[in-house]
Amino acid sequence: MRPLALVLASALVAAACGGGEDTAGNAPAGPPQRGGELTVLEDAAFGGGWPTGLDPATNSTGGANLSQMGAIYGGLFNLKANDDGSNAKAVPNQAEGYKMLDGGKTVKITIRDGIRFTDGTPMDAKAVAFNFRRAVGSPCTCAPIWPLEKNGITTEGERTVVLNFTRPFAPVINAFPVTNVNWIVSPTALRKMGEKKFKITPVGAGPFTVVTNKLSSELVLKRNPNYFKKGRPYLDRLTIKSIGGDQPAYQALLAGQADAYLGMNTEPLIEQARSGNQLTVATQPPTSPYVIQLNTKAKPFDNQRAREAIYYATDFDAIAKGLFKDRYPVSQGFTGPGGLFHHEKVPGYREHNPQRARQIVNQLGGLTVNLGTLENYVAIQVMTALQTQWQKAGIKVNIKKYELSTLVQEFNNGNWQAMLQTAGAWDPAAGVGVAFRFSNDSPFSGVNDQKLDGLLNGATATLDNAERDRLYQQASKHISDQAYAPFGLAFAPTNLAVDGVHGPGLTTKIPPIVVNSAVIWDEVWRTR
Amino acid sequence: MTTTAPPDPRESRVLSRVLGSPSVRLIGKRVLMAVPIILGVSILTFWVLSLIPGNAAQQVLGPDATAAQVRALEQELGLDQPAVTRYLDWLGGAVQGDLGNSLISGQPVSGELGSRLAVTGELVGLAFVISIGLAVPVALLAAYKPNRLVDRISMVVSITGLSVANYVLALLLVLVFAVQMTVFPAIGFVPLSEGVGANLHSLALPAAAIAFPLFCFYTRFLRGDLVDQMQGEDYIVTARAKGIGPWRVLLRHAFRNSSFGLITVVGLNLGTLIGSTVIIEQIFALPGIGQLLLQAINTRDFIVVQACVVVFAIIAVLANLVADLLYAVLDPRIRYGSR
Amino acid sequence: MAVVEAAPTLVSGTGEERSRSWLRALELIVPGAVLLLVVGACFVGPLVLPVPSPVGGNILESNLPAFSAGHLLGTDPNGNDVLARILHGGQSSLTIAIAVNLLGLLAGGTLGALSGYAGGVLDSVIMRVLDVLIAFPSLVLTLAVAQSLGPSQTNTILALAFFSVPAFARISRAATLRLREQPFMVAARLCGTRGWRVLLRHLAPNIMPQLITFGMLGMGIIIVIEGALSFLGLGIPPPAPSWGNMIAQGQASLSATPILVVWPCVALFITVLAFNLLGETLRARWSGR
Repeated sequence: MRPLALVLASALVAAACGGGEDTAGNAPAGPPQRGGELTVLEDAAFGGGWPTGLDPATNSTGGANLSQMGAIYGGLFNLKANDDGSNAKAVPNQAEGYKMLDGGKTVKITIRDGIRFTDGTPMDAKAVAFNFRRAVGSPCTCAPIWPLEKNGITTEGERTVVLNFTRPFAPVINAFPVTNVNWIVSPTALRKMGEKKFKITPVGAGPFTVVTNKLSSELVLKRNPNYFKKGRPYLDRLTIKSIGGDQPAYQALLAGQADAYLGMNTEPLIEQARSGNQLTVATQPPTSPYVIQLNTKAKPFDNQRAREAIYYATDFDAIAKGLFKDRYPVSQGFTGPGGLFHHEKVPGYREHNPQRARQIVNQLGGLTVNLGTLENYVAIQVMTALQTQWQKAGIKVNIKKYELSTLVQEFNNGNWQAMLQTAGAWDPAAGVGVAFRFSNDSPFSGVNDQKLDGLLNGATATLDNAERDRLYQQASKHISDQAYAPFGLAFAPTNLAVDGVHGPGLTTKIPPIVVNSAVIWDEVWRTR
Repeated sequence: MTTTAPPDPRESRVLSRVLGSPSVRLIGKRVLMAVPIILGVSILTFWVLSLIPGNAAQQVLGPDATAAQVRALEQELGLDQPAVTRYLDWLGGAVQGDLGNSLISGQPVSGELGSRLAVTGELVGLAFVISIGLAVPVALLAAYKPNRLVDRISMVVSITGLSVANYVLALLLVLVFAVQMTVFPAIGFVPLSEGVGANLHSLALPAAAIAFPLFCFYTRFLRGDLVDQMQGEDYIVTARAKGIGPWRVLLRHAFRNSSFGLITVVGLNLGTLIGSTVIIEQIFALPGIGQLLLQAINTRDFIVVQACVVVFAIIAVLANLVADLLYAVLDPRIRYGSR
Repeated sequence: MAVVEAAPTLVSGTGEERSRSWLRALELIVPGAVLLLVVGACFVGPLVLPVPSPVGGNILESNLPAFSAGHLLGTDPNGNDVLARILHGGQSSLTIAIAVNLLGLLAGGTLGALSGYAGGVLDSVIMRVLDVLIAFPSLVLTLAVAQSLGPSQTNTILALAFFSVPAFARISRAATLRLREQPFMVAARLCGTRGWRVLLRHLAPNIMPQLITFGMLGMGIIIVIEGALSFLGLGIPPPAPSWGNMIAQGQASLSATPILVVWPCVALFITVLAFNLLGETLRARWSGR
């Protein structure tokens, strides 16, 4: 079925990499071919759950359903990168371009000429503005956080939408690919069907159209023959299926029941997939490091000495080595190597020093900590390892796993002490960025520090990247100096694909803006 | 429990008696009794669900939502109403056949339930056919000569089956039959409309994973009962004294009698069995009712949970009813209410 | 069960019969000894033997193979000693299984006996309530209870008791109904013995054997179901081990590290086998054939 050359090539590549490296990012076999079907799996607990349907304004899990949304709507902007994940950029897709005016307070987005929704109606400025207005008031956490002026969304001619902000908002374009304003629905189809029906069989202008949609179970899509890019998409059919975990997904790929799996976390299985040489393994460039949030608003971490003890007791290098064979880098700030404004070291960062930790704990007369995290394979492992390390420094640690709802409760009642979370994003100001964990007005922050708020707001409000970089560096240093939260391993999920499947974000690397990478579905193809 | 006399072999007369008034009365009584049971189940569900922390609004919006966002959605979904009001609302609709709309997707529950019930129904049905179909001959062979080789092997196999969790078994089956040998698919469901062969092929491994522990349980149960019958019952002694061969005694007399017990156990099993489909459907990515139920519990979509549980309860009650009726058909003493 | 061939009339005599009675004794002794061994190893072993702690292992020693220095069965992904986890895990699994069955025996047994003995309205009420519990998909109930109470050993026991109480009650009621009209019960009632006294002194000793054997057979099932709860993220909260949660955690990477599932499965198998054999033997004896 597949050409022998390809098999040989991938075998050689694997051999050259010692069998342990990613097989992603290597030259694809020849020019893309048209046709074929693809079945993609996603974990029921994350991307494979879309219980509220696929209308961007009412899908409250939109941030996890990047695949479904991207395949149906395409997107005004896409995040693209070199095959190895470097040089990532948000580039116009259905948008033709954008302009930042008034120092960033006005944004003009121009739509490509002649794009039509699959119901035949035009995707013009009016349709896009209609979608923006719906998205702004949506219940999804993927709704934009634009500092809009009153009536701040207007149109200018047939193809230009104008956003007016009260202050400059730097990450506006960078955040697009994970925000529901990126996905444009046909207003006519929405009106005809009504919201209830539309969320099941939505109509967009993306590379694929919906055939059937069984919520959180199976989404069958077929090629949109009138897609605005000629000759795209390459695939005839795309099926996205929900599956109950990494192990069954891995077995399904090996058994040939599916062609790709997005977002694998379970390290031993990733290891096995790498050494098996049957699958393309693409570990995405990490952008969001783990962080141990310490609640400075309550005992015991209202005392900086106690926070310092945690810094000194924590050894993320050992965790990266022991649990992950040094496959993921360790950060000292809220950025990962795949993201913008990353710096490997933060000056003055308190590194592992168990004697110092023990000394401080003794001075404090002992330290007992409740450490929690959201249920997830990697997080639980890291948390368990942290417990061990801290106990060696004489800190008593109770660990707890939370589900979403209990985690929220814990944050709301403010009694939490330490939480293992991820922080940051590809652009620190986009999505669940750094402010979410550190700014005073976020309910999920344990820090109340005006200086830090000032630095983070300043970095959001300027378009000058050098200035942003400087401010973020200062913020990192400030967090480290005040011992607000030790950072650690920057983990990123892995995508698996069977031989012969190629596509950006699927078999090549694209940094995840928040948690998962957005696959560019109109460029995915398979060898026939 | 099953030491009853052998049934009347003249089926036609039995049938005509069943249609007589006592049996109809029995059916009527049992159906009436089912109503409070199902009502009780629905109240219990509602109560238990109200104990679970978190609600649909919070769950849907995730950890990043603000309190105001959550409150707005709660109001939209009617979750700010007291539990009793919500229950009575639900009950009012349910009595008229309207199981309500999902809190999360807003779609009518009954439509969703219908298509998924077909998948789970087929899965469970298949598991029953496989497990009973295998358990009966194995138990007969084992009981034919107790404590001999066949009996011992069946014992070890049964206990193995009962001590291996079905999710481990499911993953092992996939590893061997889907990954190594690629004879069965690892995931997915092919509906009956696309061909019986393909349909059965897609359900083979999940059905086997559910059927194996059941097979083990039924084998042990039936074998024990058969041996009990063969050892001490007067009618067996009589039959033997008449010179009827051992296989014939086992099949025609002991087995017919033991089948009463098996029917009861199978009926009682159904409630537990539906529980195990939750995990199996998750592993095999089957769009069944178990998958729906787990999603609904996790997203706190209590309208869907409520509907699933009530449907399960109705099936369980019906199954027990059928078991009782079958029992009555086979055992004349019960027909006349002299239990 | 396995001994029913030895009819009660054959008391003594030929060598064959004597070897049979010896065999009968073995059928009690072997599973009993195995169980004692398992219980001893799990509850006393960690106190006496030089096994490391089941939690808090060194992360740099994760996933060591069996027969590594200091780790007879190797280590898990967190660097914890697998043998230690099997032994400590056995403690919680056995504790849960015994507690759940004990709860079922006491609560369910009493309910069933009351229901069967009193009859009438009380019987109807108790039986309808039990019917509701039986008609309810048990895993759903357990999930709901476990989620609302949160994962802990006590809550797991409470949640699983929803399985055992109705089952024990059914069996106890059926046994009571059979005994109710037996001469010794009628005699006790006619002598004017008070109800609770009849229940306690005359009924309880006679239905107990059946309930105990049922409990023996149910031990394995409870241990497996506790694992199912762990599979769904409930049950005994990690890092504390139980056989069930070890299996559930191990299955997450079954194809890569199958050995993590094999060990607890073996421990579970041996224990369940012993409980089942003992239960069958006891059942056969007490059924009196």
